[in-house]
Amino acid sequence: MVLRRDDWLELARKVNWAPRYVDEREMFPEELSGHPWLTHDAWRDWNEAYRTTYREYVANQREKDAAVLGVRSALDKPHLFDGLDPGWVQLVKFHNGAVALVEYAGAIAELRMARFGRDSAWRMMSSLGALDEIRHTQIPLLIGHDMLAYDGNFDWTHKAFHTDQWVILAARHLFDDMFLAADAIDSAIQLNFVFETGFSNLQFMAMAAMADRAHHHLFEKTLASIQTDEARHAQIGHPVMRTLLANGSRERAQYLVDKMWWRCWRLFLALTGTAMEYLTPLDARTRSFKEFMKEWVAEQFMKNLAEFDLEKPWFWDLFVEELDYAHHSFQLGLYTYRTTLWFDVAMPDDAEREWLNTKYPDWEATYGPLWDRLERNWKAGGESNTLSYGLPALCNLCQLPALFIRPGRNTACTLEMGGRRYLFCSEPCRWIFQQESARFADHKSVVDRIVVGEAPGKLTDLHQWMGLEAPVETGKDLRRGLDPWRLDPIPTA
Amino acid sequence: MRIYLFGYASDDFLARVIVTPTERTVAQLADQLVAWGLEPERGGSLTMRNEMGDLLDPDSTIAATGLGNGDTFTVERR
Repeated sequence: MVLRRDDWLELARKVNWAPRYVDEREMFPEELSGHPWLTHDAWRDWNEAYRTTYREYVANQREKDAAVLGVRSALDKPHLFDGLDPGWVQLVKFHNGAVALVEYAGAIAELRMARFGRDSAWRMMSSLGALDEIRHTQIPLLIGHDMLAYDGNFDWTHKAFHTDQWVILAARHLFDDMFLAADAIDSAIQLNFVFETGFSNLQFMAMAAMADRAHHHLFEKTLASIQTDEARHAQIGHPVMRTLLANGSRERAQYLVDKMWWRCWRLFLALTGTAMEYLTPLDARTRSFKEFMKEWVAEQFMKNLAEFDLEKPWFWDLFVEELDYAHHSFQLGLYTYRTTLWFDVAMPDDAEREWLNTKYPDWEATYGPLWDRLERNWKAGGESNTLSYGLPALCNLCQLPALFIRPGRNTACTLEMGGRRYLFCSEPCRWIFQQESARFADHKSVVDRIVVGEAPGKLTDLHQWMGLEAPVETGKDLRRGLDPWRLDPIPTA
Repeated sequence: MRIYLFGYASDDFLARVIVTPTERTVAQLADQLVAWGLEPERGGSLTMRNEMGDLLDPDSTIAATGLGNGDTFTVERR
């Protein structure tokens, strides 16, 4: 007779044997398992809310893969691009390059927890999490590969993370800090508790809703399928947080939450904020980035904080102020430095400007004159007249351009340490750097490398240094100066 | 001597790297920054402050202001 699931699952997920040849500390060294180092007694009650067996996992994943691959087969490769808005195609290219291999790095994080997590139930959940992340790498690589026949820049789905392109350097800096160079406890808080329960919901679910309206059903299926995995393994964070708080580590837990919230916000305003509001076709936009951030990210995050009686991050007011502006400033940076990107970037047209002003009442007054100026520059001197040729200053923590929140509202600050002066886009970035300066101080931003001669200062050489083959791969204006835009097909690489 | 600074023009949207000889004046540095911005020909009077918010004399040399590698400054245009 075969045992029923409920007869064996509780026993199987709690196989925590006592080692005889090594002691517990050697088996779970603090450097990899994390601190505070606690005996297993403290971790004995580690429980995930939703339990899964390996058999159930395999059956579910098989169904999910079949759903995605079914759409891919139904569309047939020659029709993958049919009916897609050209801006949306660039959004997919941006997303794939920035996300696909991060997922693979995520598999390494899950595997670290699968070995060094302190309870067998945690290790089991992380084992499944690692399989999830490998799947999340394979699907975009497969779809990116399909796209290659129509747009050569889709090879950045795989290539991006192997380059020193500046957006990718910023992403690697964040994810190295979040999990690749983090122990099991820090990974669980930073990756599972903050990033996956908060931000990745926005990247995958909100964007899936937009993909549906943009008629990109393969992308929609892919994103929604990935998010169901994320939601399962994200629950690793909660019992780890509970154990930390029950064992006197409230201050450490609060720091990790604050730090990772700010760091994730920085990357998301750059990646998701700009993509949602400048590459998504108008009729596919369901909410503004700010509305998504408030409803899907901030509210959920507040519930998580309340559950554990944690404080709101000290920089919350600045974050709220930035919601109205920061990604719009960043879009101007992407547009004027577009030759350093692997995707094309859009200048908003009249209808989009009207929509932006509806969602952000200060938008036209704040950013309208800057876009008008770029339009005039194009008319007067062509595309080259709309590019920035000087270097942007980069933040020594987030590695992104030191933007104003809006023109005239500058939050940058510096720090003198060890004979070197560091620049930060904001107080929270400087604060994070100061908390762990030994971790961050030796890193050089792209600008630092140019200044000391480790990277070329000449733009054309810099393209090559960043892995961009100019002019084929370098980003361009989405409409190529055509007016009205989007009427003509967009040439592909 | 040439140094690199991070300059913020009040009507721009990000900070820009400026490499400059220190014997140039504050006024020349302000002009150099706004020349990289989106509306260099707009004109108007320029005032420049260091990170502490101190107003810098436009006729002083950069060396005399104490600005060094990696310092920030802000230029306001009226």
